[in-house]
Amino acid sequence: MRRQSAEQMSATATVGHDVPRIDAFERVTGRATYTRDLRLPGMLYARVLRSPHPHARMRSIDVSQAEALEGVRAVITYETHPGIVYGSGSIAGGRQYNDQIKDITVHRRHMFDNPVKFVGQPVAAVAAVDRHTAEEALGLIRIDYEELPFVLDPEEALEDGAPRIWPEGNLALDFENEPRPMTLSRGDIEAGFAAADEIFEDRYTTAFVHDAQMEPRSALAHWEGEKLILHTPTQGISNCRHDNARDLGVADHQVQVICKYMGGGFGDKNGSYYFDLIAAMLAREVDAPVLLELSRKDDWLGTHGRWHTVQHFRVGVRRDGTVTAIRLDALSGMGPYLRRSGGIGGLDAYGCPNVERAVRPVHTNRMVSGNFRAPSDPQGYFALQSMMDDIAYRMGIDPVEFALTNMQRPTDEVRFTNYTLDECIGTGADLFDWSTRRQATPGSDAGPVKRGAGFAFMMFRSGVGPSSAILRVDSAERYTLFVGVTDIGPGAKTTMALIAAEELGVPLSQVDVVWGDTDRCPYSVGESGSRTTTMTGYAVVEAARDLRQQIAEQGLPRGADVRIASATPTPSTEGRRRMCFGAHFVEVEVDVPLGHVEITRYVAVHESGRILNPLPARDQIRGAILQGVGQALHEDLLYDGRNGQPLTAGYYGARHLTHLDIPEIEVTFIETDDGYGPYGAKTVGEAGIIIAPPAVANAVFNATGHRFRDLPITRARIAGALA
Amino acid sequence: MKTFANRDAGTLEEAVRLAREALDGGQSVSFAGGGTDLLQLVKDRIANRPGQGVPDILVSLRGLEDLSGIAEEEGEIRVGGLTTVGTLAGDPLVGEALTALAEAARSVATPQIRNAGTVAGNIMQRPWCWYYRNGFPCYKAGGSQCYSITGENGLHAILGGGPSFIVHPSDLATALTAFGAVFEAHGPTGERALAAPDFFVLPSADPERENVLADDEVLAAVRIPRPPTGTRSAFHKVMDRNAWTHAVVSAAVVLKLRDNVCESARIVLGGVAPVPWRAEAAEALLEGERVTTELAGEAGAAAVLGAVPLSGNAYKVPLARTVVERTILGLLAPA
Repeated sequence: MRRQSAEQMSATATVGHDVPRIDAFERVTGRATYTRDLRLPGMLYARVLRSPHPHARMRSIDVSQAEALEGVRAVITYETHPGIVYGSGSIAGGRQYNDQIKDITVHRRHMFDNPVKFVGQPVAAVAAVDRHTAEEALGLIRIDYEELPFVLDPEEALEDGAPRIWPEGNLALDFENEPRPMTLSRGDIEAGFAAADEIFEDRYTTAFVHDAQMEPRSALAHWEGEKLILHTPTQGISNCRHDNARDLGVADHQVQVICKYMGGGFGDKNGSYYFDLIAAMLAREVDAPVLLELSRKDDWLGTHGRWHTVQHFRVGVRRDGTVTAIRLDALSGMGPYLRRSGGIGGLDAYGCPNVERAVRPVHTNRMVSGNFRAPSDPQGYFALQSMMDDIAYRMGIDPVEFALTNMQRPTDEVRFTNYTLDECIGTGADLFDWSTRRQATPGSDAGPVKRGAGFAFMMFRSGVGPSSAILRVDSAERYTLFVGVTDIGPGAKTTMALIAAEELGVPLSQVDVVWGDTDRCPYSVGESGSRTTTMTGYAVVEAARDLRQQIAEQGLPRGADVRIASATPTPSTEGRRRMCFGAHFVEVEVDVPLGHVEITRYVAVHESGRILNPLPARDQIRGAILQGVGQALHEDLLYDGRNGQPLTAGYYGARHLTHLDIPEIEVTFIETDDGYGPYGAKTVGEAGIIIAPPAVANAVFNATGHRFRDLPITRARIAGALA
Repeated sequence: MKTFANRDAGTLEEAVRLAREALDGGQSVSFAGGGTDLLQLVKDRIANRPGQGVPDILVSLRGLEDLSGIAEEEGEIRVGGLTTVGTLAGDPLVGEALTALAEAARSVATPQIRNAGTVAGNIMQRPWCWYYRNGFPCYKAGGSQCYSITGENGLHAILGGGPSFIVHPSDLATALTAFGAVFEAHGPTGERALAAPDFFVLPSADPERENVLADDEVLAAVRIPRPPTGTRSAFHKVMDRNAWTHAVVSAAVVLKLRDNVCESARIVLGGVAPVPWRAEAAEALLEGERVTTELAGEAGAAAVLGAVPLSGNAYKVPLARTVVERTILGLLAPA
C-alpha cells in the first residue's frame, strides 16, 4: 500500500512506478555471470586451510607433502607470507575507511596470523590445477599446534584471570589505542533518576546471527604486469579497491575490482576480504589466474555476522509515563579482531533528556563480528523497546501511548528534514486495529494457543553525502550511465537507470548502465548504510541535469562524437537530521506446550521518502522482516563451551527461515519529498529489519505474559518457561 | 573431499558382491542411492559407515530399476528401497492406505532432496547430531564418547539414550514402525526380513550403529501390511522451520477405530530416542477404550513415561506429550 503524507509530491514519469529489475531475466535464467562462473586461460583453483582451534600457537607447519602432490602449484602460509596487513575494517571499527587509524592500531590483523584466535581463521592456502587437488593438498599440511586457553563469552572475557587474546587485555581498543567504551551522554543522568517516581532495571541479551547471503564468497585474481585484476563479490568496488591496494602496498590505480553479479551482501562486504589478498598473493606466486572459493562452512565461520550483546538498562519514569532517565551499560562480542564498531543503537529514537550509554566492544575467541543490515540496531532496539514495552505494561499504559509520549520529536535542538514518526505509528495502529487486538492484560488469553500483539517503532539515518556518476550520450541518443554500484539485491542498477531516465525525460529503454568495474566507473559509496539510492542516485540527477543542459544548448552530438557529463555533488542537510521512520505491529499465536510462535498478522508502515521503485522496495522490507523474525525466534551460532567449537554453522544448523515461513506481511509506504536525495528518496534496505525483533518479542510477551529477555526466543525457552 | 572410486552395480547380487570384495580387500565401502546425504559426509570426511571411516568405494545402486517402485501384493504394500521420497509422498495408494507415511514423506527436507533422496537412504541416513556432523570423534564416528551428555544437547534424546544420545533422524522410519513394516535386506548369503525392533539398534546394544544392516547388505525394500478397514493414521512433525529440518519431536499414530472406540493402536515417536520409539504404554491405554480428550491426554503422558532429559532438552517432554495427545484427537470422528 502507498499513501502520500500531507505534503503533495510532484508527479514523476519513470520513478515511482513498479519496474522489474533490468537484469532479472539474466539472474533467474542462470545467464548472469557470478565470480565463480568465470574461467580464464590457465586458471588455478585455491582453497584455504583454517584453524581447528579457538586459540592456538603454531609451533611448526610442514607443507612438504602438500607441495609434492601432483597438480599443486603453490602453498602459502604464515611462514612464507608473514606480516601482510589485512586492514579492511579490521581495526578501529566503525571508522573502517580511515587509513590513519589503520596505521596506528596495535591490534592488527594479517592475512595469516600466528597465534590463531578463532576456529576458521586462515593458516595456509593452496593453488592447484583443480578443486579436488587443492582440497587434497590441504589435508596433507601438517601443523603442530600448541593449544591456548580460550574464552567465548564477553562477560567472562572481562573477568580477572580470563585468557588474554591480546597483551593489552580483552577490551577492544578505540581509535587512539585506548580501551575506552563508546559513550553517549546528554543531560544530567542523576537528576533524571531523581525526578523519576519509579526506576526499572533489567538485563537483555542478543545472539550472534550470520549474514548468510546466498553466494558463498570467492575471489578470482590475476596480474597483468604490476596491475591486479580482482573479481570478487563485493558491496563496494571503490572501497574494495582501496583496501586491497593499501594492503598490497600499491596505488589504487594498480588494482581493478570487478563485480558484475553477486549473490547478496547484507552488510559486511563494503571493503576487502582476506581471501582477496590470498588470491592475489597466490596469483602472483604462480603467475596465473587463481580462483579462490569458500565452501558454505568456510563462508560461515571465516567471515562475519551480527555482534551479540549483553545490555543492562536502568530507566527512570514519572508516574504520568514520562521517561526521565535512561542508562545503558553494554558489552558487544566482537571475536578476536575489531572489524566494525560494536555499537548499539536505538536511544536516539527517544526524546528523554537525560541519557548515558557506555558500550564496551569485547574480544573473544568466537568468529569475528561485523556489519549485518543495520549493524547496531536490531539488537539495540530489541532490548530498549522490550524494556519500554515492559515498563508501559507495568505502569498500566498502552505501549503505543507510552511511545508517543517518549519518542524523539522535532525540537529547536533536534531538527529534522521532515518528521512522520507519529503518522507511521498512527497509520499502523489503525491498519492493525491495535486497540482491539492487543491483550490489555498480557497473557490473559486462556490458551493453550495464546494470542497477543506487539509493536515497535524506529527512526534510521538517511543521510546525504558525496558520490559520483558519469553520463554519456551518443548521436543515436543512447544514454550510457557509468556508476560504481554493484547490485546486492535491492536493484541498484535499475534504480540508477530509472533516475537517469526520469531526469533526462527519456524512456528507461534508452539508458544503458555500466556498473561494477573500478576501471570503467567513477567512485561510489558502496552498497552499505543504505546510501546508494540517496547518494549515488543524487549524483545521477546532477549529471543528467548537466547533460540535458548541454544538449539544450548544443544539440545532440554528431557522428562518432559523444557528450559527457559527470557530477560529484556534496549535498548537506545543514545540521538537520534526515531520517526514515517506521512502525511494526505484529500479532502472534503462541502454542504454549509446543513452544511454537506463529505470526498471524504483520503490518509494517514505513516512511522512506519517495519510493523510486515500489516493487523491489516492498520486497526489501519483507525480506528484512523475515531476517528480523529469524533473529527474534531462531538464529544463534552455538558454541561448545568445553572446546570452543562452533556447532550450528550453515543454513541447516542455524535454522534460517525459508519461504514457507514467511508470514503475510502488509507493507505500507507513507510517501513524501523532503527536498533531499533524488526526488526525496530515503533509505529502504536496512529499515525493515530494525524493529522486527522487538515487535515480535513484544507480541510474544503480550500473548504469554512472560517477558523473554534473551534472543533468540526459541521453542526450548518458551516451553521451558511456560509449559 | 576424500578421493573415492565409484562402482556401478547392474544387479543387486553384483552390488552386494562389489561391496564384499571391497571389504575383503581392506577398503571401506558404502552403497549410494540418491547420494543427498552421503556425498556431503564424504566431502566433510566424516565416517559414514560404522567402523569403516570415510568410504574408499561407493557402490552405486542407481542402475537397479527393480529396486524402485511401489506395489501391493498379497495384502502387503512393498516400497522399493530406491523409490524416491518424493514418489512415496505423492503415491495415491500410500496416501489412501498409509496416510501417516505419506505425511511423513511430505515433511522430509526440501522438494529437491525428496526428488533425489531415496526411501532406503532416508531410513539409513546417519544421525544429524551436531557433534557427529561437525567431525567430532564420537561413538557414531567410531570414537568412544558422546559429546552431548555434558555439552549442547537441546535436540538430543530423552528416551532410550546412553551411551550415545542421538535421535534417529528418519521421519519415514517413525511412520513405517507405526505401520508394523518389515525391512528387507539383501546380503551375500541371501535375504532377511526384519521387523522394526529387530532392525533398529539402541546404543546400549551398539553405540556405533542405528540398525543391524551389515556393510555388505542392501536395504532393498520395506513391506507394510495393508492396515485393516477402519484404520486411520496421522504423522505430526514439530519443526523449527517449515522446511529442511529434522523433527524436534514427531509422532506417527495408527488407530483402528469404531465409533471412536479404539480396537488397536500403534504410537511411535520420532526425535526423542536413538530409534523410532514405540509408546506401548500409551497404546495399551487406548486399546479397547472409547477415546476421549481425557484419555488422549493420559496417552500423551504415558508416551513420555520414563523420559530422562539431559540438561537442555527437558522441553521435549511436554512437546512429545502434546504431540501424541493432539495427533490422537485429530484422528477421532467429529463428535
